[in-house]
Amino acid sequence: MKSIANNTHISKLFRSSLAMLVMLLLAGSGLFAQTPAPPQQQPIAITGGTIHTITNGVIQNGTVLFDNGQIIAVGTDVVVPDNAEVIDATGKHVYPGLIHGQSTLGLTEIGRIAESTDLTETGNINPNIRAQVAFHPISEHIPVAAVNGVTTVVPTPGGSLISGKPAAMMTDGWTWEQMTLREGIAMTINWPSMRNNNQYREAVEELQQAFDKARRYQTARAAMEAGEGPHHAFDIRWEAMLPVLEGEMPVLVNVGDLRQIQAAIAWTEKEGLDVILAGSRDFGLVADQLADKGIPVMLTGVISGPDTSWEAYDQGYTNPRKLYEAGVNFCIAGESSAAYAYRLPHHAASAVAFGLPEEEALKSVTINAARILGIDDLVGSIEAGKDATLMITTGNPLELWTSNEQVFIRGRKLEMMDKHHRLYERYKEKHRQEQL
Amino acid sequence: MKRLHISLLILLLMLCGEVTAQTARVTGLRENTPSVFALTNAEIVTEPGNSLSGATMVVRNGTIEAVGRNVSIPSDATVIDMEGKKIYPGFIDLFAHYGLPEPEGADNIHWNEQIRAHYSSAENFVPDEETARVLRAQGFVAVQTLPGHGLFRGYGSITALGSREANRELIRSDHSQVLSFRRSREFGQSYPTSGMGSISLIRQTFLDAEWYREAHNAYNVQQGLERPETNRALETIDNARHQEIPFIMEAEDENWVMRSHAMASEFGLNVWIRGSGHEYRALESVSATGRPLILPLNFPDAPNVATPEEARGASLEALRHWYFAPENPGRVAEAGIPMVLTAYGSDKDFLANLKTAVERGLSPENALRALTTTPAAMLGIGNRYGSLSAGKAASFIVADKDLFDHTSEILQVWIDGQEYKVQPDRKEPRGQWLISGKEELRDAILNIEGRRGQFRGTVSLGDKSVRLMRIRLENDRLYTGFAGDSLGLNGIIRLSANLGSDELLGVGETSGGDFFTWNAARIEPAGEDSERPGTPFTPLDLPHRYPSVDYGPASIPEQPGHLLIRNATIWTQGQEGVMENADMLITDGQIAAVGYSIDAPRRAEVIDAGGRHVTPGLIDPHIHSSITGGVNETGDAITSETRIQDVMDANNVWIYRLLAGGTTTAKLFHGSANPIGGQDASIKMRWGHAPEELLIEDAFPGLKMALGENVKRSSARYPGSRQGTEQIIWDAFQAAVEYGEAWERWEDDPVGIPPRRDLQLEPILEVINGERNAHVHAYRQDEMLMMLRVAEEFGFTVGTFEHGLEAYKIADELREHGAAAVVWSDWAAFKVEAYDGILHNAKILNDAGVLTTLHSDNTQLSSRMNWEAAKTMKTGVDEVDALNFITLRSAQVMGIDHRTGSLEEGKDADFVIWNGHPLSTFSTPDQTWVDGRKYFDREADLQLREEVRQERAMIIGRILERQQRERNNNDEE
Repeated sequence: MKSIANNTHISKLFRSSLAMLVMLLLAGSGLFAQTPAPPQQQPIAITGGTIHTITNGVIQNGTVLFDNGQIIAVGTDVVVPDNAEVIDATGKHVYPGLIHGQSTLGLTEIGRIAESTDLTETGNINPNIRAQVAFHPISEHIPVAAVNGVTTVVPTPGGSLISGKPAAMMTDGWTWEQMTLREGIAMTINWPSMRNNNQYREAVEELQQAFDKARRYQTARAAMEAGEGPHHAFDIRWEAMLPVLEGEMPVLVNVGDLRQIQAAIAWTEKEGLDVILAGSRDFGLVADQLADKGIPVMLTGVISGPDTSWEAYDQGYTNPRKLYEAGVNFCIAGESSAAYAYRLPHHAASAVAFGLPEEEALKSVTINAARILGIDDLVGSIEAGKDATLMITTGNPLELWTSNEQVFIRGRKLEMMDKHHRLYERYKEKHRQEQL
Repeated sequence: MKRLHISLLILLLMLCGEVTAQTARVTGLRENTPSVFALTNAEIVTEPGNSLSGATMVVRNGTIEAVGRNVSIPSDATVIDMEGKKIYPGFIDLFAHYGLPEPEGADNIHWNEQIRAHYSSAENFVPDEETARVLRAQGFVAVQTLPGHGLFRGYGSITALGSREANRELIRSDHSQVLSFRRSREFGQSYPTSGMGSISLIRQTFLDAEWYREAHNAYNVQQGLERPETNRALETIDNARHQEIPFIMEAEDENWVMRSHAMASEFGLNVWIRGSGHEYRALESVSATGRPLILPLNFPDAPNVATPEEARGASLEALRHWYFAPENPGRVAEAGIPMVLTAYGSDKDFLANLKTAVERGLSPENALRALTTTPAAMLGIGNRYGSLSAGKAASFIVADKDLFDHTSEILQVWIDGQEYKVQPDRKEPRGQWLISGKEELRDAILNIEGRRGQFRGTVSLGDKSVRLMRIRLENDRLYTGFAGDSLGLNGIIRLSANLGSDELLGVGETSGGDFFTWNAARIEPAGEDSERPGTPFTPLDLPHRYPSVDYGPASIPEQPGHLLIRNATIWTQGQEGVMENADMLITDGQIAAVGYSIDAPRRAEVIDAGGRHVTPGLIDPHIHSSITGGVNETGDAITSETRIQDVMDANNVWIYRLLAGGTTTAKLFHGSANPIGGQDASIKMRWGHAPEELLIEDAFPGLKMALGENVKRSSARYPGSRQGTEQIIWDAFQAAVEYGEAWERWEDDPVGIPPRRDLQLEPILEVINGERNAHVHAYRQDEMLMMLRVAEEFGFTVGTFEHGLEAYKIADELREHGAAAVVWSDWAAFKVEAYDGILHNAKILNDAGVLTTLHSDNTQLSSRMNWEAAKTMKTGVDEVDALNFITLRSAQVMGIDHRTGSLEEGKDADFVIWNGHPLSTFSTPDQTWVDGRKYFDREADLQLREEVRQERAMIIGRILERQQRERNNNDEE
């Protein structure tokens, strides 16, 4: 008996100390974290560089002028106001910030530590969940993404059948509110697995029920609001579904194999929904159907081995090329891990190594991502009127050897510091001292 | 008078053989039914290749008295007419788990539950009529029954398959040993839990058995010694080895055949290997072992290809095996490998599969030999079993026709003179019957045909005919019926009848409730064509592949005598740096020269690599691929005895995929579950070679160790913290030191009980002596520092820290100690101890002068190591250094830099031709060469893909055809 009691005690102690450790890690690291940049104070002109506008070609020796966080002019004949800060980018390149369409960034710190994770909610039907409110502004992984040029991420709630609404977040700022670029990007549906027939039927039925009930709610509330019906109480779940039913918000359906892809296409078509399909497999097999129906696809990760033993060694990397060749409207998101959000350009680049034109790869993480996510009025290219969310690089951001010299988010000039650089500096100092 | 007595006695003996051959006390009345038979007019296959037609066999008291054409029938014999039947020697199965109970738990003879060599199958044997009936129905009369639990499983015995008491059926007790690599979970989840752990424990146990004898010898002659343990298992093992009794081993694929052979060779065992049906994939190697094989006929079900998406999941390996498995026995026999066949794995399908094997190339004579004379000779019972001649056991098969005819049936099996019916004497309903009796049916013809279990038929009257309803035959009684209207009768007429050989004695009932009788006489016998002929087999044109998997090559690529690479940008990673527009000459697989404007020797193969880059083959010093049976031995914390080289698997398409990414060399490691995991293996990606041929023989050997979270995760064992990890490592190293000292003392003064060889401590001692490198999985700086200090205490240098996420925090300490760092480019934050991993790790280490390399720890990542190197350039690492992280430096930490890792004269020609700058994200290999052989070629790969596609399509097509045919057959009936 005694030893059992002891064990319980120890395991409790262990659990609480683990939680404390995590808190220490997170809070402690916060002491060193990069300080968010202040709002843009004066006009900034980046001159002399090669500007990759994405939507309007490449401008050699061009100028980008921005003020109050917005791009004012782009070109070779831009008049730079006297009060502007001029950044000479001769020999450098200017690109729009990169957009990561589906991530856990901000919602998790260390995957294996439950206390540091806010990704999934209880129950199967969670349309009311809003990702941005749990976005942890002090996560160490956010500056890592930012200094590597990933300026927009879409933290996406996961787990349940309808898991809620991702938000497009800027990767710099003091609070989640400041960092929210646009909320309610989509309604996330995780298409059920078809491995078990009964479970699959039940899940699809539950999904259907949710939409049917939301429609009943829509009808009854509309009648009530028009003064034509009795009072109907507020329902937080169905209320959250209204923008979807009214065609104002797309559903983002995460799918696995081709059976799920086709089932999701048929179901969303039947329901008359605006759909984005997200996943990493089998899209290439039905690319022509996706193209015919004009369904946008978000590839969640490209760097992977073949799905089967008999497919070619490069099969994982060739999915984007197949979608491109079939004329599918697609974008590339990086892997979901928060710590690896910054690897986004590598995923796009890996497709280039296996045949996707370089220009298309760039689009897949900039303008195409912005259009699919419905944020292309703000980001995704270097155009007047859009946010001044861009970066000055030593070269092509798709090359792993390229580094970013300066990143701007909405005109704010980021401190080019993250955990990697900070620890690098810290231990350089240790070794310097030891050489003394 | 006396003489008369003696002959009377002999006569009595002959008559009462049953009584004289046993000791059991008779209770109640004695039974003395004579047991003398003459089987006449039979075709008798006396042994494979020798057949007598119209022959007679006389059986007396379980033994054959005479066989031949002109045998006179003894007057006391019961005569059985075997006209039209064929008699074969009964089959013998060398691999059965027959009549042995499930173990009730471990005993205490040996410390490890899996060591049960002392287990007696004879003592535990109880005939099991249900199993015996199944085996007899397949033609078996005797089996070698083997215990099925543990690694050393115990003794096997030979028994007949009759239904008498155990001691009447047993032919020979405890005459063989069973050794398996598969531990039994019945004895718990303790050591060993892995394939390599099993192999290690078996090796240690053989050594222990030797030591046990020496220890007892010493103890017996000398007083004052510590009494050695008493252990019947070890005693048994040592005796069995020295008496050279057969050890039966199990090999679940062709690689396990080779591992069984290696074990047999190391310990001088007389081994018979129960195979798996995969031997055709490596016939040459299997044949070279010279070991006899016990082959199952366990032909696999077809992979699921029913729908296009399901078919995507079918590997070429599974498809090919479905196709080739039935050819395995024929191919093994043709290769001249000594073999016998077993019903293990096929049971009720054995005979049907045997016929398929014969259809697919096994000669009937070889098939018969593998079931009769060969197993009998191997068991040393050839003078009694396996053939039919006077004096031998009356254990034989009676078949209705040639056994290998696809419609044949075994009717009876005789075991020691006792008949066991396999097929009951069934009456034949098929044929035409003329009905009499019932007025309205008079002169109607009943016609019955079809297959057993699926009869069909008609009844016709005049020019009218109607189909019979379902025909059921039970206990020689036939049940059916028909719609009477078409024959002018009302409603359904139901019929049933006793089936005699030529008469049906029936009753019936009309729809009106009129009960009647009817008779029918046979007017036409069953037609020959009532059995459906099998569809003849047409072979598919499938190439040989080794390994027999997707992208397995048909042959090893040629090694050109001279090969000249011209006009390339050559990254030598040596003194010469990066050479533009340079040439490299390769002779007999080695680099002969790297320079400018090298003349091509005569008949040299020349590759113009203008505009392209050539680098050394990439080296990944840490993966867990191509290992079978588990990468962790979790049964204990210190498992230094386990060796990756024992469990390497070359049937892995990733070997080819790594080549496609330019990776030519890797170190295969244990996982990280143990503070001391075991001995690693360094390999080259020689795709198409056997596992042992992948090994780099002169690589510096290593010992995988691990610190941090993973080793303390198991709640069941020590250590539970980083503190305990230090102590258990300390303890093991101290034990190794003392082990070495014990042997030194023994060599100086070999008196008393000798030290015991300890496979666990020997590799640790090698580390201490600098003969083996410690490769230590670690994340945090504290644990790495701890390991440095422990190593310094024991006087050795840590070879490498693996992963080393926080190595940058102690770069100076590492350099001072001389440990290398094998790190990821950017893995971090997936667990607490990984939280401080940074991109700059390799940069800081490299700048500090620590020998630094990059690894993948992940097979997929391992196929793109150039990307890993490129990531470090972002932190400011120079491009040559970055490439060094995945070439020369890796070779150095693996102790293979004398032969690979850079492009310099005298080294192996391991190189990659890239279509661009090797560290560009956009570049991929055009060609990858190992030992001067081109194992990957972008163009050839496109062709290979097409071959794989066509081959899959061909086999899938065959599966679908066959399934369609089976469906059609069923529909028809």
